[in-house]
Amino acid sequence: MRFITKMALVLMFAAPLVPRPGSAPALAQIPPEQTSVATMPDAGPNWFVSKSGSGARVFNAESGEMQGQLSLSDWTPAVTMWNPRKEFYAAESYFARGAHGERTDMVTVYDYANLAPIAEIIIPNHMARIAIRAHLALLNNGRHLVVHNINPGHSVSIVDVQDRIFVYEISTPGCAVNLAVAQNDFLQICGDGTLQLIQLELSGFEENRVRSPVFFDVQADAVFDRAARTASGWLLVTHSGVLFEVSTDDTEINISEGWNIPEAAEEGEGWRPGGRSEFLSVHHASGLAYIAMHEGGIDTHHDRGTEIWVIDLATKRLLHRLEMEKPVSTLIVTQETNPKLIVGVFEGNTDVYDAFTFKLERSIEAPGAQMFEDF
Amino acid sequence: MNIERIIDSGYYWIDASARRTSLALARKLSRRNFLSRLGMMLAGAAALPLLPVSRSFAQSSVLEVGDPQTCEYWRYCAMSGSICACCGGSATACPPGTEPSPISWVGTCNNPVDGRNYLMSYNDCCGKSGCGRCGCHRTEGDKPVYFNSTSSSVFWCFGVENTSYHCTVSLVLGSTDQ
Repeated sequence: MRFITKMALVLMFAAPLVPRPGSAPALAQIPPEQTSVATMPDAGPNWFVSKSGSGARVFNAESGEMQGQLSLSDWTPAVTMWNPRKEFYAAESYFARGAHGERTDMVTVYDYANLAPIAEIIIPNHMARIAIRAHLALLNNGRHLVVHNINPGHSVSIVDVQDRIFVYEISTPGCAVNLAVAQNDFLQICGDGTLQLIQLELSGFEENRVRSPVFFDVQADAVFDRAARTASGWLLVTHSGVLFEVSTDDTEINISEGWNIPEAAEEGEGWRPGGRSEFLSVHHASGLAYIAMHEGGIDTHHDRGTEIWVIDLATKRLLHRLEMEKPVSTLIVTQETNPKLIVGVFEGNTDVYDAFTFKLERSIEAPGAQMFEDF
Repeated sequence: MNIERIIDSGYYWIDASARRTSLALARKLSRRNFLSRLGMMLAGAAALPLLPVSRSFAQSSVLEVGDPQTCEYWRYCAMSGSICACCGGSATACPPGTEPSPISWVGTCNNPVDGRNYLMSYNDCCGKSGCGRCGCHRTEGDKPVYFNSTSSSVFWCFGVENTSYHCTVSLVLGSTDQ
């Protein structure tokens, strides 16, 4: 019995050492793998950021691959970037204990290589906690970040993201949506039907404030709080589909004559622009505007688009109507010479179209896509 | 001197008139009658400032139809957020442990029962993480965020201890037909 026991023990320990044909020599030759951490490669053409409720994923629209992710607060209105410094900036709001505890609002600086926070700049706890792209505006060659506040009166916090300091808070009663223009200025849309131009000194303090004449009626046909940057300024649209191109020349605010989106309902039922997130975008070089449209009446301005209309701003012609299988949550057109139309599908994926041929190229899983930023 | 005399004679005239009126009343009315009328007058005067409040109480007893847990409920015509009636509260009550925001946005909703329009206040209930149930977003009369008194897109947890958003209630402020 003792001999048998010893033999069994020897065989038991020896068994793993006995080579099996083919397998054991291979195992012996492969070194064990180590975990590594990737860093961001240089950005290529048609990269974009997909912001969701609590993060921002970086995608390559050419390949459909995800490159990395920024972690953001649940309340972040938008994220923006300044490529020369290779940094991202996000306004954030946190409670010390999740949903309660002391509130801290801040601008967080993220590096490009690791998409990791590298600096925090504390700002007043007045940040407007709504996902609106124009609630962040970067001015003065990437130095001053304008963060919109609602408390519940409107104001903006000016933050020096280069020196990492909060500069000061400017009261802007009745006006919101901060549209960067010129070197160090921004336009706002106001409830009395005007635009407000605020010009900052190089230090970030307010130097001048100008108001335009009234050009819309907020009760009859309000201008959306979503706007698209153009080559020379901004494109605004009203709930019924009247387009205005606005720009500035020093202290002068230029507002074009309003013109209707062709074939849109001027009043009553018909095709109207709209959505609950960023639903219009302009390709600067070609002057093509991409606008999510739906069929509906007055007060349907938050209905998601069932078509995307492509409009030539120069000729004021409707060039194409892109029918969607599912409603549009948000969209953006990239600014490449071969641009992509990125469409967030409501409760679906993110679809990438050739922005000139309107051909669907790929569908990307980008959960909770709320708005996109072009790289 | 003349001015002082004129003032003195004015005082004298007021005193004399008051004395004459009091005597006349005393001759005409019994003391009980006087006290009774004085009491009525005081009671009436006290009730006078309450009249608008009474009218608003009458407005709150509006005839109701519909399910407050559905977005189609008539009070929710300009609602945006989670319906508190689905979160442990009601159409007008915040759920336990939350704090109603004293500041709100407003809308005008038509009650299908009496066909009247009512001024609605939408108050966020704050201090807890989002309820997440019965999401409702309607936009009758809704305006962009730059016109925030009637913008449902804004989180209205202002003036409260904790500004986390939980859900939204809808209160009748009055009838717009008044």
